Formats: sequence, structure tokens, C-alpha cells
Amino acid sequence: MSIPRNAWYPIAASEEVGRAPIARRVLDVPVVLYRTTSGEPVALEDRCAHRPVRLSDGVLEGDLIRSTYTGFTYDPAGRCVSVPTQDHVPYGAAVRCFPVQDDGSFVWVWAGETGLAALRTPPDTALLRDAGWTTFGGSLDTAAGIGLLLDNFCDITHVAQLDQDIAPPALTAGPTPPLEVEVSETTVRFWRRFDASPLAPWNAQVLELPEDAEHEQVEEGEFVGPGYWVDRWTVEVKGHDDRDGQHVFVFSHALTPLSATRTRHIWRVSRNFASSAAADGTLTPLFEAYYARVGEVLEQMQSILDEEGPRPEVAVAADAAVSHVRRIVQRMVADELGG
Amino acid sequence: MTQSAAPLMSEFEADAVVAAAETVADDVVLLTLRPADQAHLPAWTPGAHLDLILGDGSGEVVRQYSLCGSPATRDSYQVAVLRTPDSRGGSEAVHRLAEGDRLRIRGPRNHFPLVSSPRYVFVAGGIGITPMIPMIEEADAAGADWVLHYGGRSSDSMAFRELLTKYGDRVHLVPQDQTGLLDLEAVLGTPAPQTLVYCCGPEPLLRAVEERCHAWPSNSLHLERFTPKERADDGDDAAFEVVLQRSGLTIQVPPGTSVFDSMRDAGVSVLGSCLEGICGTCEQTVLEGDVDHRDSVLDEDEQASNECMMVCVSRARGPRLVLDA
Ligand code: FES
Repeated sequence: MSIPRNAWYPIAASEEVGRAPIARRVLDVPVVLYRTTSGEPVALEDRCAHRPVRLSDGVLEGDLIRSTYTGFTYDPAGRCVSVPTQDHVPYGAAVRCFPVQDDGSFVWVWAGETGLAALRTPPDTALLRDAGWTTFGGSLDTAAGIGLLLDNFCDITHVAQLDQDIAPPALTAGPTPPLEVEVSETTVRFWRRFDASPLAPWNAQVLELPEDAEHEQVEEGEFVGPGYWVDRWTVEVKGHDDRDGQHVFVFSHALTPLSATRTRHIWRVSRNFASSAAADGTLTPLFEAYYARVGEVLEQMQSILDEEGPRPEVAVAADAAVSHVRRIVQRMVADELGG
Repeated sequence: MTQSAAPLMSEFEADAVVAAAETVADDVVLLTLRPADQAHLPAWTPGAHLDLILGDGSGEVVRQYSLCGSPATRDSYQVAVLRTPDSRGGSEAVHRLAEGDRLRIRGPRNHFPLVSSPRYVFVAGGIGITPMIPMIEEADAAGADWVLHYGGRSSDSMAFRELLTKYGDRVHLVPQDQTGLLDLEAVLGTPAPQTLVYCCGPEPLLRAVEERCHAWPSNSLHLERFTPKERADDGDDAAFEVVLQRSGLTIQVPPGTSVFDSMRDAGVSVLGSCLEGICGTCEQTVLEGDVDHRDSVLDEDEQASNECMMVCVSRARGPRLVLDA
């Protein structure tokens, strides 16, 4: 699958970007990230205009970044402002500057047509900063294209095949209830409502509910853009007094295509209940192991595609969400390519 | 495992509140619509349109209007609506809306996307200017070379005149009572390289632009219709069979019944809005078989490619179609 360039990608978690330059990558372009003295994020192409060296190996001088090999110094707009060997800066010496936004959760960069960045907005991530939600997470580089990750999020029925410890019994309890899919020009949301069924043991434990109690559960997934995916798992607790109500897990996936076949995946798990560190202690290793396992499978898929090429796939009715997401992404790419 | 039921498809739909209703030209009202229960609306791109769903006492009226605000605005949508005497009541109902009124919105969807190009010629007739407003904003931001030729009955009937002044001499206003009709020969007479033509307006303008563009490279012309294209009657409909690959179903489509209705009758959830081949909502991917295209969405090349069809109006040329549904 080809990948849209005209999109905001969450290149780093906000807390990763500070007063020391860091090296990142988007769509095969190396990017150096840092903050100015006033805290504004800066994203420049991570390659000095003079010699093939990384600016991320350089140092900050106020709001400027200086290569510690060439001595070329650049401002936050990427313009070279001084060189060590002469008074005059060579005419037009500059590195590419990327439109960048920091929403407090992620630093988003735009690697497409620069002028269009102002006409699109990054997805809303306010929930990750909401005091009513407890969030933990991690990140991993996966040697698989972003399309494979999106396909994977479109269909969570494989969770039951992949990881019996984490899978809610509802997924295997009987025929899967019908998938409801809601589309717009740029988004796809789908959900399934499961009849009352038991919870996975870890889920019952963090909710402090008996393991055999049965509850209605709702699975939900949302494609918000090529760089951001949100899943929700809601347990509707009834008949347990003060525990009654909607207990919701929100799984947010920030995706950046490093190349056609590599993706940076920053994941966040948020919940609106059990804010204790003890619950984090139960949940963190569980989800770290799960996302690592998913990453391994996706890497296998990528290597099969690399070795044998793509083949027509047999689709099932439940692929309605997959086919809509693919259609949106393909249209973005086609419109960019023109013709 | 028991086979699970087919997915239920729907489009984004929400309650909206009229945040502003301003008259921006003779008989043209610009509505700003905010979602009633959420902060953000789904993102869209230039060329997208929205369904307005209005109750008018005798029932529901659904009308489609191009979004004419900026895609950068995420907490409201804007549509500009011309009061048309002929219309089946839709535009009258929209013109009665006042600040604070509620309605349903559905979509947005886009079958008139702005494809990347170094150069564009935009041709708008009357209220056909609406999709062009976000398109030229985008073309301009991308650094493309573009011109807009915008014709209308009279200056006062032409919406967005003031907004367009900021683009200087890229914009050519042609009010008919002062300067006559758009001179399409001058605008489109000679095909230009690497240039896309976007056109929206009344049917006679669309047809005239289609004719002029025959000499242009294929795929140069993009246009949008708000009323079904007139088509020669090709006689009686024949019956045919449709295989729905993913659902594992084979259905019969009798004469006089659409593929859309036959799919619904078989319990397959398929999206639809206009049901007259103009909005593109019911598009299905065609895997096999020859389509008798009767829609006004796909251009000649897209129809000839036989890759997709609008199932609310289009039929089969042969005995059988296979759809990815
Ligand atoms: S429903 Fe509008 S084109 Fe078919």
C-alpha cells in the first residue's frame, strides 16, 4: 500500500522532545526535533546542507542548532544563519523545515505539501490529558508497513487467536454479534455490542468484580486518519452497587510511517476507573506483551509480502471496515499523485 | 462457528444547530452548522458535500449541498443554499431555517475531490461556486497556478464576491447582465498541458464545458451534478443476477427493481442517499461483469474502467455481475 504524505503524523510523544535534539524519521526522511527556549517544537530535516552529517548529533545554542562537525548553524525555520569559515552565509543555504504541532500528547509533523498543513488539523487527543482518565503506554518500531497495522486494528476478532490471556471471553462465546460500521469521507467507526458474558480475569480483577459475573460489553474501533487509531472496550456493569456504570478502556494508537515497510507505533491505554498504581502494575506487562506479539505477527506478514508479493485476499463480511479504511487511504494517495 | 450477520452500514449522522444564517447574495443563504452534542465534526476535503435532513411537516426532506467553508474549521460546517422555485421543497425549507434551529446532518462524502495538479481552471455557474471556495483555498495554499471563471445572472446574485477579491486577478467575475455569458471558447478552447478543469453549475453550463473538454486529455475534466444527467432511454430493463462475493449471496434483479433495492431485500446493508445516481453514496466495487452505467457521478473514463458502479441506478449489460459486497 502506498502511504499518504499529506497527513499529520505523530512523530514523537510530547515528553520525548526537549532541549536536547533527537533523531526521528517520517516517510524515509530523517527529522531532528528539539524545542526552542520558549518551548516551541522545531522539526528540521536531519542532514546538514554542507556535509552528510546529522544535525541531531549537534548542539543547541539558544533557539539555533549547530552541527558539531561542519559548524553550520540553523534557525528554527531551517535557514542557515552562520558558517565558521566566512562572514557571509552561502545564498539560500537551508535545510527543510516541517510544519509541526504539539498538542501536549504528541508532536505532529507534516511531511507533505507544506502549504496544505494549515488546512488540516491533527486528530483530537484530549482524552490522554484528561484528569478523569488514567493512562499508561509504550512504543515500538515495527518492521511492517502502516497499512498492515491499520488492517490489524480494523478487526479485533484475531485477539482471541493471538492471546488467550488478554482476549475477552465475549469474543469466543458464540457467534460474533453483527458489526455496525459508520463512515464519513475521512473516518470509519465500527462497533459490536456483546450480550452479557464473563470478563477476562485481568479485567474482572482491575474492576474488582467477581470473575464469573456477566456483563454487556461493547467493542468499538475508529479510524481518525492514517496516523491515528482509537479502540474502545466498554463494560456495562449492573447490579454491583457502587461499581455500576460504564467502565471504559480506550486504546489510542499513534502511527508514523518510517518507510513503506516500517512503522513507529506509540500506544496508550486509558481507563476511566481504578486509577491506582497497583492496577497499572497488573495491566502494563499484559499490554506490553500483547502489542509486542502483534508487532511480531505484522513483521511476519511484511516479510511474506516482501518475499512473495501481495495476492488477492479472500474477504469476509466483517471486512467492511477494512475495505472502507483502505478506500479512504487509497483515495488520499490517488488525489496526491494527481493525474 | 455460526455465521455472523452481515455488517450494518451507515454514514456519520448527527444533530446540528444553526449557528448563523446569513443572506450572502440574492436568494442565497449561508448556513453555519454546529454539532449539537460533540465538539468536532468529521474532517472533509474540498469538493465534499453534506446531506441536510429536514422535517417539513409532511415528512422528511433530504438535500445535498457542497461544503463551502474551510476544512481547517473542525467545529462547524458551512453550506450556501440558493432558493429555487422549482425545487421539490428542499431549498424553501432550508431558507426558513433561523439561528438556533435544529436539523440532522449526514455525511460528508466526496465524489468531486480536488486532485493534485500544477494548474487548474475552475469554472463556476451561479450557486455552483460553493465547492470551488474550498478548492481554490487549497489550490492556492499548495502553490498551484489557477484561475476561476465565475458566471452569474447579475452581480448581486453571485455569492462570495467579496471573499474572492483577495485572490486578485486570478478571479474573473462574469455577471451576465453586464458582461454576458462565460466565454467558454476563450477559457477552454485550447487544451492546456498539465491542467485540470473543475466545473460546477447548471446543467447547460456543465454540458457546454463537457463538449469543450472533448479536445482535452482524458481525465482533465472534473464536474459535479446536482440533478441527474438526462440520458437516452435504452429501452426495457432486463433481469440479471448479482453475486455478492463477501456476503456469499447470489441475488436476482428483476426488471424495474434496482440492484440497491435487491441487495437491501436480501438483507445486505448498503449505503444510499439520493437514489438517483448523483451523490455517489451507494458505490460498489465491481469484480466481474459489464455494467450499464446510468449514474451522473462517474465520468466517461471511470465508467469505461468498469471498476465500480452506483447500484441505485446502474444495471448489468449481461446476465451477471459480481460485486465486492
Ligand atoms: S445513492 Fe446516490 S448515487 Fe446511489
